[in-house]
Amino acid sequence: MNGADPNRDPFRDLLEAYALGALDAQDRAGVEAHLATGCAGCARALAEGRWLVSQLAYLAPAAEPSRELHGRLLKSVQAEAQERGQAAPVQTQPAIPWWMWGAVAAALLFALYNSWNAARERAAIEATRQEVTKAIEEQQKAQQELALARREALILRDPQSLKIRMPATKEDLPALEATWHQALGIVVTGRKLPLPAGHRTLQLWLIPKVPGGKPLPSLALRPDADGNFDLLVARPPDGIAATKALAITEEPQGGSEQPTTAPIWIGATTGR
Amino acid sequence: MSPDAALVARLLERDVSAFEELYGRHSRIVFGLVVRILQQATTAEEVVQDTFLQLWRNAAQYDVSRGPFLPWLLTVARNRALDQLRLKSERQRRREERTEELPPVVSLPPDLEGKLDEKRQAARVRQLMDGLQRQQKRAIELAYFEGLSHSEIAAKMQEPLGTVKSWIRNGLLKLKEGLEAKA
Repeated sequence: MNGADPNRDPFRDLLEAYALGALDAQDRAGVEAHLATGCAGCARALAEGRWLVSQLAYLAPAAEPSRELHGRLLKSVQAEAQERGQAAPVQTQPAIPWWMWGAVAAALLFALYNSWNAARERAAIEATRQEVTKAIEEQQKAQQELALARREALILRDPQSLKIRMPATKEDLPALEATWHQALGIVVTGRKLPLPAGHRTLQLWLIPKVPGGKPLPSLALRPDADGNFDLLVARPPDGIAATKALAITEEPQGGSEQPTTAPIWIGATTGR
Repeated sequence: MSPDAALVARLLERDVSAFEELYGRHSRIVFGLVVRILQQATTAEEVVQDTFLQLWRNAAQYDVSRGPFLPWLLTVARNRALDQLRLKSERQRRREERTEELPPVVSLPPDLEGKLDEKRQAARVRQLMDGLQRQQKRAIELAYFEGLSHSEIAAKMQEPLGTVKSWIRNGLLKLKEGLEAKA
């Protein structure tokens, strides 16, 4: 509708080279930040790219490793398999003569203790496992946040990004600033904004250049308790070239399909 | 479940015979790849040893739902070989490496079905790569076997960065189309 294909992902063209390991640092960081957003299409394309790259191994002629290598490996593997077998030997209980009641009682006490101890250790293992799971989840979350922060930093720092000032249409409201990178997305920031009433949110819209074109809805976000607003749109619904302006309206929680209120902030793109 | 995936499942139960079978099936292509990257047989054997030991100790790292086993194993081996190559490059040990002989190329046994498939696939890939422009093929090989980035390849080939990027992307897409068409 606006010249650019909204379904075309700008990272798709880089995925084969990423799988090959040929991307330079900046491109690589951009792809990794994008993959961290969980784009399923790119994850599938990357899996295909990795398979394709693995086929290049056939350019190298197959060659026979030495018998010594086979021997060394087998020795290591057999030793490790045996160690594991010895680490968990089968428990067998010897028969206890009838006259050894004292010993039996001691053995029973010992078994009871072992059972209690095993239960305690199982509980400890379970608690540790839960801690590990929680730590892994926290690490994954932190990695994702880091990837998004890196992406945001790349957008803000890249001299090719377009800076868009978004003055308020109402008095006494501070202006917002948007930064748009053709490949990495849009960052909109605002400070000390009044909080929307109730659970209402602020929603970003892309106003198309096409005469009569409807505003394209983007993400909705509520400022934090201090009135700070940092919105990262990794995949804008349209490109810079097709967009006349960015606007922000106040909308019900979850956002709207079309604006239900007049824009509070609006900023024209200057094009490139 | 593919034969490879079944063997990997047995590795999880510490089945040594499964390990031997996997080694028998794939050690030649893995070793061929690593030797091509490192250009030195002794170090290549160390890398192959590390790769297969990693497989034995951490077979659970291979997730059958994410694709076939051999491409995964080749990726593990290539990454280890490129790490070793970079390490060696830093230590400037290339002169000593040139004195070593490369291992002989082996012809694969004609009566093994799996190996025949592997041989056919190798022929396909080589034929398709030979169909690319000479410089396009060279750029892809520099990335794959030497681990060079776009800008490093551009510097080495003394060509514009954009040209190198196009060569690699278009070359890989042609290879993909060719493999899909012949599959």
